[in-house]
Amino acid sequence: MVIEPDGLFYTKVKPKDVSEIIEKTLEKDEIIDRLLYTDPVSCEKEKNYNKIPFYSRQKRIALRNLGKIRPNKIDDYIAGGGYQALARVLTEMSPEEVIKVISKSGLRGRGGGGFQAGRKWQTCRNIESDVHYVICNGDEGDPGAFMDRAIMEGDPHSVLEGIMIAAYAIGAREGYIYVREEYPLAIIHLQKAIDNCEDVGMLGDSILGTEFSFRIRIARGAGAFVCGESSALMKSVAGEVGEPRAKYIRSVVKGFYDKPTVLNNVETFANVPAIISNGADWFKKIGTSKSTGTKAFSLVGKVRNTGLIEVPMGITLREIIYDIGGGILDDRPFKAVQTGGPSGGCLPESKLDLPVDFDTLTEAGSMMGSGGMIVMDDKTCMVDVAKYFLSFLVKESCGKCVPCREGLYQLHALAVKISEGRATEGDLDKMEKLSEVIVRGSLCGLGKSGPNPFLSTVRYFRDEYLAHIRDKRCPAGVCRELIHYEINDKCTGCMACITACAYDAISGKKNELHVIYQDKCTKCGACVAVCNYEAIDVT
Amino acid sequence: MAEVAKKEGSTSRDTKTVTLTIDGRSVTVPKGTTVLEAALSVGVQIPTFCWHPKLKSIGACRMCYVEIEKMPKLQVSCATEAADGMIVHTDSDLVKRGRRAVLEFILLNHPLDCPTCDKGGDCDLQNLTFAHGYDDSRFDFQKRRFIEDGVESTFDDLRIGPEIILNRNRCIHCYKCVRANKEAFGEYDLGAFERGNVTEINAAPGQQVDNPFSGNLVEICPVGALTNTDWRYKIRVWLTQTVASVCPYTSSGSNILFFKEKHQNRVYRVTGRRNDDIDDGWLPDITRYGYQIIHSEDRLRTPLIKKEGNQETATWDEALAVIEKRLGEIKDKKGCVCIGGLIDPSLDNATLHSFSKLIRRTLGSNNVDFRIDYRMLPKTSSDNYSILTSRPFRIADIDNSDVIITFGSDLLKEHPNEYLRIRKACNFHDSRVFSLNPYAVKSADVAELELVYGIGADEAIIAALCLAGVEEKLVSIPNPDQLKEATGFALMTEAAAVCGVEPDQIKIVARALAKARKVTLIAGELVTRSRDRENIASALCNLNRVFGIEEKGQIAVLSRYANSMGARKLGVLPDPPAVVKSELTKLWGGWPDTEPRNTDSMLVNMKKEEINGLIVMGADPIMLYPDREFACEGLEKLDFLIVCDLFESETTALADVVLPICSWAEYPGEYVNLEGRVQQANQAIKPLYESRPGYEIVELIADRLGQKLFESDEVRRIEIEKLLEVDNGLSWPDSFVNTGWTNEEHDDEFTVPLAVGDDPHHCGHRTEKASSLVNFCGEAYIEISPGLAANYQIEEGDSVRVESPVGKIIVPVRISDFLDNDVVFIPRNFSSTPVTSLLMRKCRVDRVKISKVVS
Repeated sequence: MVIEPDGLFYTKVKPKDVSEIIEKTLEKDEIIDRLLYTDPVSCEKEKNYNKIPFYSRQKRIALRNLGKIRPNKIDDYIAGGGYQALARVLTEMSPEEVIKVISKSGLRGRGGGGFQAGRKWQTCRNIESDVHYVICNGDEGDPGAFMDRAIMEGDPHSVLEGIMIAAYAIGAREGYIYVREEYPLAIIHLQKAIDNCEDVGMLGDSILGTEFSFRIRIARGAGAFVCGESSALMKSVAGEVGEPRAKYIRSVVKGFYDKPTVLNNVETFANVPAIISNGADWFKKIGTSKSTGTKAFSLVGKVRNTGLIEVPMGITLREIIYDIGGGILDDRPFKAVQTGGPSGGCLPESKLDLPVDFDTLTEAGSMMGSGGMIVMDDKTCMVDVAKYFLSFLVKESCGKCVPCREGLYQLHALAVKISEGRATEGDLDKMEKLSEVIVRGSLCGLGKSGPNPFLSTVRYFRDEYLAHIRDKRCPAGVCRELIHYEINDKCTGCMACITACAYDAISGKKNELHVIYQDKCTKCGACVAVCNYEAIDVT
Repeated sequence: MAEVAKKEGSTSRDTKTVTLTIDGRSVTVPKGTTVLEAALSVGVQIPTFCWHPKLKSIGACRMCYVEIEKMPKLQVSCATEAADGMIVHTDSDLVKRGRRAVLEFILLNHPLDCPTCDKGGDCDLQNLTFAHGYDDSRFDFQKRRFIEDGVESTFDDLRIGPEIILNRNRCIHCYKCVRANKEAFGEYDLGAFERGNVTEINAAPGQQVDNPFSGNLVEICPVGALTNTDWRYKIRVWLTQTVASVCPYTSSGSNILFFKEKHQNRVYRVTGRRNDDIDDGWLPDITRYGYQIIHSEDRLRTPLIKKEGNQETATWDEALAVIEKRLGEIKDKKGCVCIGGLIDPSLDNATLHSFSKLIRRTLGSNNVDFRIDYRMLPKTSSDNYSILTSRPFRIADIDNSDVIITFGSDLLKEHPNEYLRIRKACNFHDSRVFSLNPYAVKSADVAELELVYGIGADEAIIAALCLAGVEEKLVSIPNPDQLKEATGFALMTEAAAVCGVEPDQIKIVARALAKARKVTLIAGELVTRSRDRENIASALCNLNRVFGIEEKGQIAVLSRYANSMGARKLGVLPDPPAVVKSELTKLWGGWPDTEPRNTDSMLVNMKKEEINGLIVMGADPIMLYPDREFACEGLEKLDFLIVCDLFESETTALADVVLPICSWAEYPGEYVNLEGRVQQANQAIKPLYESRPGYEIVELIADRLGQKLFESDEVRRIEIEKLLEVDNGLSWPDSFVNTGWTNEEHDDEFTVPLAVGDDPHHCGHRTEKASSLVNFCGEAYIEISPGLAANYQIEEGDSVRVESPVGKIIVPVRISDFLDNDVVFIPRNFSSTPVTSLLMRKCRVDRVKISKVVS
């Protein structure tokens, strides 16, 4: 918890600490030492949260209100300057001016594609139609990503305000927020926010007494990853099967119900009010010239500090992982960082000094995506990682177009073959050719980027693949078919592993060296987990 | 696939063109055309699986890859719009590799059971793999198998409808079936389930794929995933020959192909022969499966002669001798006026024309009619009705009509092709459809607004529309008072009250009519079968006058049978329009000087024993005439009855001589569809048994009676040609026509209005002999709205007794969600349950009472 205005920072606060904090800190200005944050590297205590690298290196725009306001109170949001941007837009600016500001700011869609938001809005506005729609994409399907969830749950009004400004700019009277079914709290908070807005005249007819009328409805997804794709999402909102459609029709021209539609994701919309309030130039100064502003990431995996972060564009991966993330857990060697969700890719240590922006990541064979960032250490097998993400994509492929439906399935089957040590080098070659067909031939982004987990790992970790193929060996000790467990001399004969083994695969007497029966061992790893003496080798 | 290809939806009204280069050839196409269509238009073939010219492109199969210069990847040509300056390569190495990869992917899971697959030889996957594929696969994983009840088999045969069998293992997921079902037919009984690699096509849970267009799904399936029992395991396609023909059931004359085997002299199936002006390549199931009657076991095989009350087989000579003797007797004793003729209007021109000449010239009377299932025909038909049946009408013009009005028509049952057209106009061209019906019909599901008016208030609803146009100042007409007088209503609201329709809704339709750029107005059987059809026709003339419909579109009462239009043009009526009459007089050198007698008055005269002889050609008046008892009484009093038919019927049972006639597949014939388009049906097989074509029978009879009808076939052909060229010379009335309208009193005992028509899977009474159609629906039923069913405490499947003042039948109940008022519907197609026994010829609205049969 942070105690303002000083920014005093306590960690791991329990309910029983509250009375102490009130007594000492609030009333007597004393600092409770044991609750202070300890830097994992220098082991020094730090009392101000702004000085902690995890926070000091961040720049929060989209996440500006998180943790500071109560999400269910519109008054909190307004008190923090909320809806000022909307008021200004409605009373002082023409739609063209709004679009001009957004265009000038260089804001790019945060959902993965990185398309210029201002240009999208302008195109949509220019299309003559009786109806325009604005849709907010809250279908955050990437495993391990939770940026949009945090915003929708923690600061729903900033999303609504962004949507309303977009609606005013393009001339929409109706908007939708598509939220994935797995986010029940986000739905509750957004609905509450919409209700509150309607109560105070922020939504509905004649908003803030102006001629602008607008309504927002929530559409709930049904757990399909492909529904994060724009045309599939619009079909899903309209109540149809969520499948992408032919790409030559752009959704901004003929989108929802075949009407011009602006679709941006939650984070993009959350940025909009801040840009209007602070001006395009302020936003442009943050980040790089082609990727302005900040980007939120959910930093997870084998790093010390995990969680939601928002950093200026152009920051290096190394800064994110080592400064903000505090380095790898247990000081193991860094192996790879996976960005961009299942369709993204894995980057090795040599790429750690790349600046994080849309274009650089794509060049390096990964992508910005919606902002998932999974850090891996040397205990991670890259074949296994590719296999995992491919299996996710096979399950989530909608099945409409042939290359994605059939190709990803084969690619996954081949990855399984490698991980089980049954593959030949020809199979690796096959996988590369197959990937080319899928990338070239698929209909939507899911298929086009589908082979990325394989392509980026084979690009940077080919040796590891070859180890599986040639030596029938998994260097990271993960692929079950290729590893076996053995007890070494460090065994003290404590019998902990014998108790833990559910398959009676370990025998031995107290204080004597234990033995693993390979024929019974299922390689579940339960013995390793309980051994306190590092006496079990996985090779 | 070979022919092209004006894609629906891309028929944009803007005339801009783009020029691109395809394989080195410069191609200019309208803006909005896809690269695929542009290529096909100049004969460059691009292979496809999921593309269909009449459906929206989805770009799923990726078979139609092309390489376009300056585009980074391969593009799917079916979903890429042609643009100026594009340079397209359809046969580059990259394209070939792409296609090969797609085929390899598709074959990964497709079983290679071609030797036992019904589609073998006719299969897109076979053909395209032959043309573009590998002979080997790089992948060796187990093929995906759908397993039913634990049994793993290539023959994953699921019966998903009365006729359709699905094999999910063979499916390549082009989704054409699901899309056609949804986009073209508006049906949702078939769907794609699960996703990704385990996607499967299947019937919707708890449903059967039994919609009246379901046969098309089998036809468009590119592989053997969907097959039908009609064709399955009967013959290999390469052993058959195709013959072009037309459908004898629909008045639009769907274009069909017979697949016949010449040594067996047998037709094995019917498929579409796409004609964008008529059917868009879709066939209703009656057309597809209706051919089965040709080989029905029940066909009449030889002539029959009645001897001492029993019909016995005879030779043609014996039968003709009897005819010569008996007809001659009647002619000599009582005069020609005592002989009449009824003919089925789905017979070809030659038969109709010969028949008409036999009656008029050989026998010398005007007792000839083809309108057998109409009640209370007027002595002389009014021009107002005739004009509505003969104005220019084009099916293809429905597509670009921005307002379409259907009046008194359950199109799905009467005119399935036009129903699909309207659906297409609605889906692809954003047309607005309004449906005005005396009771709710399923066909109205395309309509933006369905006005269900009180049954019998047909003139009133039209009057309300006319008056709304005037009152709302949507149109200006010189003499509004005359309109009020003619309609019998002073105010629109009065007329609306009579119909029981909200005035606001009438205003919506009137406004659309007035604003429309192009209108199509179709009136159908629900009104044309009415006793007061002349009056309703007059009302429509008034409507045309108020809104100027014909000036900006088309208005028509659609003829119902395959050659009704031909029959009208050839003057097979007791009193054809004056110009037709004079042309005939000129051709034949005379005209019988007798009173014209239509079906109705012939039956009256039979009852009075003033008509003693009757020749019935291809029809069953007892089954069709809307007063069964009346028809029976008339026919039973005849001295001599000749019936030429395909099957035995109640009418043939009364006949003195029965002659077997050929079906339309057994001789070449010409048919005039409802647009007036003359279409050729070629001979597919030789006449079966001893049957003969209709015109030949007529000429044989004429020969026996001492007159050679035509010097040669050529003379007959020329006569027909001349008649078809005649313009009937009718013009719209030049003032408002008095329609008047009075509410019909009805008996308190019989209160429930009864609607009679065709089942969507049947047409007339013959389709009962087609086993596939019987699989869809094999017995009569009564359709009841849920509300009415609750009133009578009856449930789906219960039997009810339906009684009218003249008859009663017992039928099982079907509860229909779309029927929302107290009308009941009974199909007229089933000879075991003749619904005509409930009808009375003099009624405007038939009413019945129903009661549950307690077993």
